[in-house]
Amino acid sequence: MAKVKVQTAWLDSCSGCHMSFLDLDEALIGLADKLEFGASPITDFKHFTPCDVGILEGSISNSHDEEVAKELRANCKILLVLGDCACFGGINNMRNLFSTQDIMARYYATESTTKGSVAPASKELPGLTKVRPVNQVVKVDCYVPGCPPNASAILYALSELLNGRIPVLPGEIMRFD
Amino acid sequence: MKPHVVCDATWRSEDKMQEITLTINGQSVKGKSGDTVLEICRANDIYIPTLCHLDGLTDVGACRLCVVEIQSERKPVPACNYPARDGLVIKTNTPQIEKYRKQVIELMFAERNHFCMYCEQSGDCELQQMAYRYQMDNVRFQGLFPVLPLDTLSEFLAIDHNRCILCGRCVRVCKEVAALRTLDFGGRGGQTMIAADINQPLGESSCTLCGSCLQACPTGAIINKASVYKGKVAECKSTDTLCQGCDIGCEIKVMTKDENLVRIETPDRKTPRGPLCKIGRFEQLTESRARINSPMMRNAKGELKTCTMDEALNAVAKKFAELGNGCGALTSTRLPSETINTLQKLVKDTLKSKMIDTIDGKDYRLISSGIRQYNNNGATPEVDPDIEGILKADCIMVIGANIDRSHPVIGNLIRRAVSQNHAKLIVVDSNQDVFPLWSDLWLKPETGTDRALINGLSRIVINNNKQLTESNSELCRVLSLYEADKVTAKTSINETQLQSAAKMLGQSKNFYIISGNKLSEQNDADLITALLNLSYLVQNGNGSNLNLIFLKQSINSQGAWDLGIAGKDIKTQKPRGLYLLLSDDKINNGWVEWLKGIDYLVVQASYHSPVVDLADVVLPSLIWAERSGSYVTAGKRAMQAHPVIQRSGSLTDEEILQKLIQKINVKPGRS
Repeated sequence: MAKVKVQTAWLDSCSGCHMSFLDLDEALIGLADKLEFGASPITDFKHFTPCDVGILEGSISNSHDEEVAKELRANCKILLVLGDCACFGGINNMRNLFSTQDIMARYYATESTTKGSVAPASKELPGLTKVRPVNQVVKVDCYVPGCPPNASAILYALSELLNGRIPVLPGEIMRFD
Repeated sequence: MKPHVVCDATWRSEDKMQEITLTINGQSVKGKSGDTVLEICRANDIYIPTLCHLDGLTDVGACRLCVVEIQSERKPVPACNYPARDGLVIKTNTPQIEKYRKQVIELMFAERNHFCMYCEQSGDCELQQMAYRYQMDNVRFQGLFPVLPLDTLSEFLAIDHNRCILCGRCVRVCKEVAALRTLDFGGRGGQTMIAADINQPLGESSCTLCGSCLQACPTGAIINKASVYKGKVAECKSTDTLCQGCDIGCEIKVMTKDENLVRIETPDRKTPRGPLCKIGRFEQLTESRARINSPMMRNAKGELKTCTMDEALNAVAKKFAELGNGCGALTSTRLPSETINTLQKLVKDTLKSKMIDTIDGKDYRLISSGIRQYNNNGATPEVDPDIEGILKADCIMVIGANIDRSHPVIGNLIRRAVSQNHAKLIVVDSNQDVFPLWSDLWLKPETGTDRALINGLSRIVINNNKQLTESNSELCRVLSLYEADKVTAKTSINETQLQSAAKMLGQSKNFYIISGNKLSEQNDADLITALLNLSYLVQNGNGSNLNLIFLKQSINSQGAWDLGIAGKDIKTQKPRGLYLLLSDDKINNGWVEWLKGIDYLVVQASYHSPVVDLADVVLPSLIWAERSGSYVTAGKRAMQAHPVIQRSGSLTDEEILQKLIQKINVKPGRS
């Protein structure tokens, strides 16, 4: 049987969800027979190719995140999102209590230790947007919340996918913290 | 999940006798008329999710999680406040209903700013539990992200409006259990917020910090500053014991983690008492004094230095054996009767001394001499009735007591009597109205003229009742000296106030007097007698059980006094050696001055204090959470306390005393 091709990316996040995936420990050995990784922070390949499952961690917080999410969506059959940030916006949501201008002004003027620093305005840089969960930008097929989701929840979701089902976490293994 | 607040608010008086039959999910189920649909479902093990419902509180149908389909209704209705009727056909778990419920939870998460990952209540939160139950792995609605304030100025409570779901449990518990009405809804529609009084910070409001709202809150919107992040309920061990904050002795549930106190709550079982108070729930968790960990004695240079228990006890035994009956003992009344009894054995049997007293012995001597003087009038009065009787009072007089500071639970009972039973409340205090906005009458006698006022009131009461006048001619004669104009001249309380007080007393069928610590400051036994007389007269001279409550300092004041150790003031007896059993109690400066004159002072205490610095030998002691024993609390109820945390390697206070007795009893030369 051909291996299932998985590609992952982290958006506005702490990378904790990917670390939690590595916490699968010895279960990773079993998964290695069934999964292969394409572009992912784990393989360090940057550009997506067509694959079976796309996994996203983190919220959509700037134009770059939006682009990555759309690119992965276009390349995968099933999109799974990992963690509170991707499912709900998570802790990044706290930024939504203030305007983007206020945040930039605070970061570059009030709090900065460098005198006269100004927010960079280059078009090359991704512009900040309001923080959104992934499902407000692209269609999401399954969700694994948690901050980070624990390894058993990730394993449950992957096993369900490998068995041809779309996972919905049961309440007993779902965590928001 | 947080345990439910237990209370005794009774809100429905409908006749619950008639049996009715309903069909729930195709099953025939029996209930009683007057029950709600929710109650019948719960009684029959049919699960209905709820967030705003709390056992014992009025149901308002705020959260809409309990919606059910009823055949005769055209839309889903909340089960919590839908009265059950005979023949109703109900469905509680159709896919449509479950869809609505999940949507309600999603809307709650979208409405305000819920961040489970760093919330103190994560794991104990009912909203979170509901989201798990309904497998809410994403929210279909865009968050509103309102900018909301945090109120953290109160001493022990913080309100985080970001996490509030406006279920109103805190509002109802504040009204129906705490009887305060501090918390309420402010604003309208989407701007509705929980507000204290007229939208003040909680710390500046009329909140008495009873913590009922804290225990009622289903989310992390109301936080206990004394126990944040110390442990989740599931990680804690929970032990039921006795609160030792004052002499009332409420039952409490103490949660501990790794032998540390985490939080204190009302026990699950039904107690008619109602809420706990600031002292019981919060102050016992926060102790800033430094703990004494080992015995200490003075070295050749006169410095207090750590030593072994044997060294310390040998030194004390030697000195006490030398001084013999020149030794005395002074004890705190926070200790259980067993320990105080052992101390009494040490003094009376071992040292053959009669010098033993309690820190609050003055109060005992004052009250008992007041009662002795009253005895001359006739039968021995029984005072200190069960405090729950206050709930049934129709007139209450509070004299010389700052109740919300010293005995907040009594304050709660009084407020409930006033709000639920329409009791009249008379406050006698020259400085402050101890129940602002609640008292019907606030009498402010000149300092030291309380007795004249009470006797003046007694005179009006006795003169208004012919039967009383005839059967109590002697008392009538004594009281005739307190004519209204003389009383007015002395106390500067005008006659209108006197008459309206007397009118309230005259109409009362169940009158309670509650007197507190300020009474002992006046040191006037005649005032106690005057109060007994007033209580007797207002009760129409019926019986010798007087509804007169003397609030005491400590949990076992009554128990210690019953052991007969507070009969004589130790200050007048000039002991040369003194065993001060202080434990975790505090002692006032009046005592410190006197203790300086003691030649040989042994202090057994849990915490460092100025008294400890005076000691020749210091012995360690357990604190309230570590000891067990029997106590006699308010209303002369015998209660038991159980240790909630273990202090490894420490002897109990009683064991230390037993060892000392043994060492003194060993005759020299035989050891």
